[in-house]
Amino acid sequence: MDIAYYPGCSLHSMAHEYDQSTRLVCKRIGIQLHEITDWNCCGATAAHSLDHHLSIGLSGRNLAQVDDMKLNQVTTPCAGCFSRLKTASGELKKAPMQGEIEEMTGIFLAGAKDVEVTHLLQLIIEQIGLEQIQKQVVKPLQGMKLAAYYGCLITRPKAVVQFDDPEQPVSLDRLLQTLGAETVNWSHKAECCGGGFAASATEIVVDLGGQVLEAARQAGAQAIVVACPMCQANLDTRQRAIEVDRGITYNLPIIYFTQLLGLGLGFTAKEMGLNRLLTSPSNLLAVSMV
Amino acid sequence: MKDKGETTLVVGGGLAGMEAALKIGQAGYKVILVEKQAVLGGVLGQLYSSFPRWEDPQALLNNKLQQIQQCPQIMVLTGMSITNAQRDDKVYIVDLQGINQGDIRQIRVDAVVLATGFELFDASVYGEYGYGIYPNVVNSLEFEAKLKEWGSGHSEQIPPKSVAFFKCVGSRDRSKGKPYCSKICCMYTAKQAGIVKDMFPEAKAYVFYMDYRASGKDYEEFTRSVIETKHVRYVRGRPSKVLPENGKLIVRAEDTLMGVPIEVEVDMIVLAAAIIPSRGTRELAQMFRAVTDEYGFLEHETFNPVKAGDRVFFAGACGFAIETQGAQYQGAAAAAEVIALFNRDPQGGD
Amino acid sequence: MAVEFYRPMRLNNLNSSLQQEIREACDTDVEMCLECGKCTGGCSNAHIFDYTPRKIVQLVKMGAEETLMNMDALWTCVACHLCVDRCPSQINIPRIMDYMREKAYHQGVKARRPNVELFHELMLDSIKQTGKVAETQLIIKFNLGSKQYLKDADLGRRMFFKGKLSPFSPNVKDINQVRLMFIRTPVHKEG
Repeated sequence: MDIAYYPGCSLHSMAHEYDQSTRLVCKRIGIQLHEITDWNCCGATAAHSLDHHLSIGLSGRNLAQVDDMKLNQVTTPCAGCFSRLKTASGELKKAPMQGEIEEMTGIFLAGAKDVEVTHLLQLIIEQIGLEQIQKQVVKPLQGMKLAAYYGCLITRPKAVVQFDDPEQPVSLDRLLQTLGAETVNWSHKAECCGGGFAASATEIVVDLGGQVLEAARQAGAQAIVVACPMCQANLDTRQRAIEVDRGITYNLPIIYFTQLLGLGLGFTAKEMGLNRLLTSPSNLLAVSMV
Repeated sequence: MKDKGETTLVVGGGLAGMEAALKIGQAGYKVILVEKQAVLGGVLGQLYSSFPRWEDPQALLNNKLQQIQQCPQIMVLTGMSITNAQRDDKVYIVDLQGINQGDIRQIRVDAVVLATGFELFDASVYGEYGYGIYPNVVNSLEFEAKLKEWGSGHSEQIPPKSVAFFKCVGSRDRSKGKPYCSKICCMYTAKQAGIVKDMFPEAKAYVFYMDYRASGKDYEEFTRSVIETKHVRYVRGRPSKVLPENGKLIVRAEDTLMGVPIEVEVDMIVLAAAIIPSRGTRELAQMFRAVTDEYGFLEHETFNPVKAGDRVFFAGACGFAIETQGAQYQGAAAAAEVIALFNRDPQGGD
Repeated sequence: MAVEFYRPMRLNNLNSSLQQEIREACDTDVEMCLECGKCTGGCSNAHIFDYTPRKIVQLVKMGAEETLMNMDALWTCVACHLCVDRCPSQINIPRIMDYMREKAYHQGVKARRPNVELFHELMLDSIKQTGKVAETQLIIKFNLGSKQYLKDADLGRRMFFKGKLSPFSPNVKDINQVRLMFIRTPVHKEG
């Protein structure tokens, strides 16, 4: 299948391994990604926090380009970008808003508003299917005990996203099980990691991210699997600070689901960029002998 | 004097249905009382205690069963359900089928009373509460069964050290549940929490509420006694999330009277799930051309709160959530309607 | 010589259109609030908020615009959306937060968390300049702007050696299209 691809700013910098693994994996499972030629930042938290119209406009420009590419669907691995694009798509479907944003941006948005926005996890689950993935698994993730972490924006707000269940999500768990891993039942699979406050109010991330790590540890997880570069950054880069704050050692690698999917499909750890994680996954990889 | 040749079909052998059958039968008319379970009693038979007088519901049930047994006009058919109904002038031709035996019958009746009762809304819709996922999160009928078990003195189960009761699960919820109030949960929750304290004085009981609705004779006093003398802790706040931790359950809610978020660790959670009509009520109503509302409850005609259609009456929770005594009143009212119908000018009708 | 006596607030003096304004701008009617507290009970950051979600909805009903625009919670809401998802009346609290914050910001109300505001501003500056966000530059500018020169120095070092700090600042080609939005956004026109 052909689909527009919106990587988002962090996938081209800090979360480069997420982009890397996404591209390799998608090619293998039959998703042809077409990166939006001149995409701009979706505005993330900053735009919707200070300027609603700007936030919609920034996403509108991206959606309009998808339409110009003659594609009717866009996917992104970043939960934040997904939330912004999908919200904008919904807002643009309301007549007064579409007109206001067109006036503001000078961009014609009639086609843009009909572009379907799908998070990469959702795309794989709904449009490729676990059965298909199962067929292509060559190196099952045997012996891995993983905590599937959904964070906030892949399933919420329910009225906008309508994917999986926001309170008891199972899609990522099922994907990891299809890859041969065991997933733990844990309390914080859909609780917030602290969002965009890593730099500007670090104590919030240390608090909320810390609760997530603690819940994963108590459930016996060896690693946490994520589908958002913000969750990854919060739980990985702030893990030392959380350990200091709580006086507990976690040593929990925070891994992008595409990296594990790639391992299952036969790519090497290096190809999947697993060496770029701050909290090393080497123990985990040794356990499963992948 | 008119002869009493008419027959009434009463569908549902809970309290409302039994009461209707009794009043019609004791007035000298034939009644066929059909119940799909193997025994009569409905929800009344599942209760351990009652409000507002802490009386034994089995005493009431046994009283009705005894009267039914002593009334030769009433034929009881348990383990059977209605599969079809057709109108033939002033008579309904009704097909019945046995649930297990496959026993098939056809009867002719001159009037029908629907009294199919209620069940509880499926609380697994509330993923945040973990019903169906975490053990020890149960609904109020399941908890009543536990009370019976603990009360029997033969229980092997370890009693809980702390129980949280959530009210309005599915009720008063326009987004995931029903917008209406299920009327009886405030009272039965106070009852259940009070019983926990009576059975296990060292245990803690919390009731999470938005309101407590106690409008009835002795109801307010009952609820206050549960709070003031049995020391059940009432917390005003609709719980937001249940988090399992080390084998226990953590309830996250807001104490809205203080305006602060709180957490409570408990062993067991009881959900007062919304009251919905028993499955099959809508289809049954359609067979008799009776009207149901958008929630599947039977709808009554103007000026007549127990009449659902031509020669069709209803009583009990199939019309809306109702307490035990109310179901009894409605059963008697439906019976009065049937008897009055049979005593009107035989050439006329409705 | 007037002496200040304490008097309770007189409810019939409330003459605010804020509830209506929120109904139109945020497509959400606070009249539907059951005051149940399910929002606050699950709110990720309620324990650090000065006004918690249920109270924020109540503040809208009371027309307490000043309080809403000056509260600390405005700047520490993580937008996790647990509140609106669980609310039996689906009151869009995240949208109300965004709306009040936008209003406060563009009216020049001093943010209770200047660092959070600064971070948002720097991110938007980067988008206005280049169309994208270069994370490394953003963090450096933030540290400088918030006078926390050595913040996360050790973390930065670790990330540098893992190749996570990219020196590049990617650009959008049709940058004028992006810059136009910043100039023509309705909020700026009014402000």
